[in-house]
Amino acid sequence: MQMKVDSCKPAESKISNLTFINLSMLGVLAVVFVAASLIVPRFFDINNISNLIAQQAEIIILGIGVTFLLITGHFDMSVGGIVSLGAVVSAYLCQAKTAGASDLASGLGMGYGKAIIITLLCCMLIGVINAFFIVKVKVNSVVVTLGTMAFSRGVAMIIAKGAQRITGLPPEYKQIGQYTVIGTINIAVIIMIFLLIIALIVENKTAFGRRIYLIGANQVAAKLSGIKVEREISLLYITSAFLAGVAGIVMASRFNAGNCTLGTGYEFDALVITVLGGTSIAGGFGSVVCAVVGAFILGILSTSVNMLGFQPAMQMLVKGFVIIAAILAQRFALDKRKV
Amino acid sequence: MRVLGKISLKTTVMTIYVLGVLGSIVLVFSLISVKFIGVPNIVNVLRQSVPALLVGTSVTLLMISGNIDLSVGGIVGLSSVIYAICLKAGIGYLWAAILTLLLGLTIGLINGLLVVKMRIVPVIATLATMSLSIGLGKLLSPDGIGLIKGLPEDVIKFARTGFLLKLPIAFYVTVIVVGMLVVIQKKTVLGKYSAAIGGNKVAAELSGINTKLIIWILYAIVGLFSSLGGIARASLLSLGDPTTGTGMEMDAMIAVVLGGTSYTGGEGSVLRTTVGVLILTCLTAGMQVIGIAPYWQSLVKGMVLIFAVTINSLVKEKIIE
Repeated sequence: MQMKVDSCKPAESKISNLTFINLSMLGVLAVVFVAASLIVPRFFDINNISNLIAQQAEIIILGIGVTFLLITGHFDMSVGGIVSLGAVVSAYLCQAKTAGASDLASGLGMGYGKAIIITLLCCMLIGVINAFFIVKVKVNSVVVTLGTMAFSRGVAMIIAKGAQRITGLPPEYKQIGQYTVIGTINIAVIIMIFLLIIALIVENKTAFGRRIYLIGANQVAAKLSGIKVEREISLLYITSAFLAGVAGIVMASRFNAGNCTLGTGYEFDALVITVLGGTSIAGGFGSVVCAVVGAFILGILSTSVNMLGFQPAMQMLVKGFVIIAAILAQRFALDKRKV
Repeated sequence: MRVLGKISLKTTVMTIYVLGVLGSIVLVFSLISVKFIGVPNIVNVLRQSVPALLVGTSVTLLMISGNIDLSVGGIVGLSSVIYAICLKAGIGYLWAAILTLLLGLTIGLINGLLVVKMRIVPVIATLATMSLSIGLGKLLSPDGIGLIKGLPEDVIKFARTGFLLKLPIAFYVTVIVVGMLVVIQKKTVLGKYSAAIGGNKVAAELSGINTKLIIWILYAIVGLFSSLGGIARASLLSLGDPTTGTGMEMDAMIAVVLGGTSYTGGEGSVLRTTVGVLILTCLTAGMQVIGIAPYWQSLVKGMVLIFAVTINSLVKEKIIE
């Protein structure tokens, strides 16, 4: 709503609300980082920090798609299921064909490249289903994507028989998640950076990016001004499913196993990091930068909680409190600015 | 008047449809295996439905007002933990139940506070409380296994042991609660206002309805009955488990949508949600009886939700518009 109006305002506010929120959340990230470095022993350590970056790769990759959809005012809860679908299907396709082995140990024996392409196509199919129900049948996006989440995780569970596909994977299967370039920076991080750059270009420099904001700000106005709203939203759902598939492949590669429980709760985590970074649920406001900042704030907090020796369950409490605090703080800051 | 006629036509169509779905599921499973209509299985299905019935029916009231609650699964888990802890502390069943219900009510009130006073979108607000309640439940239960075992033996008397017609007390309590919610929805101001808010929030506010108070009460009701569901779960399984409610928010939503309640609010029926819950439990139990592996459940649930959503919007389009 506010984003482009502000740039028309001359003297009193030089930066837009979006830049303002981005900068404030970056500030929060910096404070959290410094605080963690001071309080948590061994936090400020090159290995720990590069670990921290590597751990955020998957959630940021799928966060890109979720952010774009949120900007248009739509939810995608199916990403968690698609992650497990991507993980299991990619494993199944390239597991070696072994006659006589159990069902779980024998796959289709495809080449890794071919397997990845087919996996991503399968994941994009879920995106097509999402788009069909939301754009054509016009049902609520939360409800339908929760359905496709259960559906895609269900397919993954059936292929992996409720467990995982781990034997007979080709050696290149684990490269994306485990081959490190510098420190613990692996290929996954490079994929993440590459996708982020593309996303930033799309967001800021293309007409498509601008149209996304307009749809979120006012869908009716967008439609009346000649934007093919339905086509853009379908495209975004398919992209989001594609990115979730990439995240699934990366994750399976990191564990070197196609496990059907991978990505459990990621649909919620993706929502948490995007909102934490400042993207508005109401649509029309947000940025991929928000998702990255949100992911790192949450990542630093979780790591610190862990390193300070609290139980892992403490992370869930932290997550809950942080999200409420972040939303209230952002609203407060924006309200102040308006005055 | 014509619109009203159409709405009542829709109600009739939805009732026939949802009962038809339940009937055909029961028929198909009974044809495959006679065990499905045996008394033990029927008792089992009804017993297992108790928590889902409590959660689903109260969520229906909330969804009619156009709001959503994702924290119900977390509340069920945390309540089972608190109830188990209280029992192990030896304060007696009554006090344990009262404390647990108070806790559920409090979480419901917090949800209301976040949504109504702090104006956080329901999805995000209840997502946060879901995270908080599961986290708290895990912190309170023993590290490692995460389960609280060794409850007093009598604990199963509430939701497991037969009381009347082989069904446990919890089932009859649920019948009373559901009856109460049906009356609230159909006969009281609260129910009417809830539908008015879901239909058009601004119009409801302008016509003098205290929308904030109503939504707050609805969240409190959901919290209260979800924790009763948690008590029933703890009694049925005879343990406290913080993750026992995982996925219940999804099941509740499926049941509500199956019952033809509009997910954008404005109309719906508590009674049809009970049929929706029974459809889900029958599906799960039926698959178990005829020997389908449990890892098929997720796929089936996803398909049922998508199916229900589609039917809903088709019926709406064909009849109302």
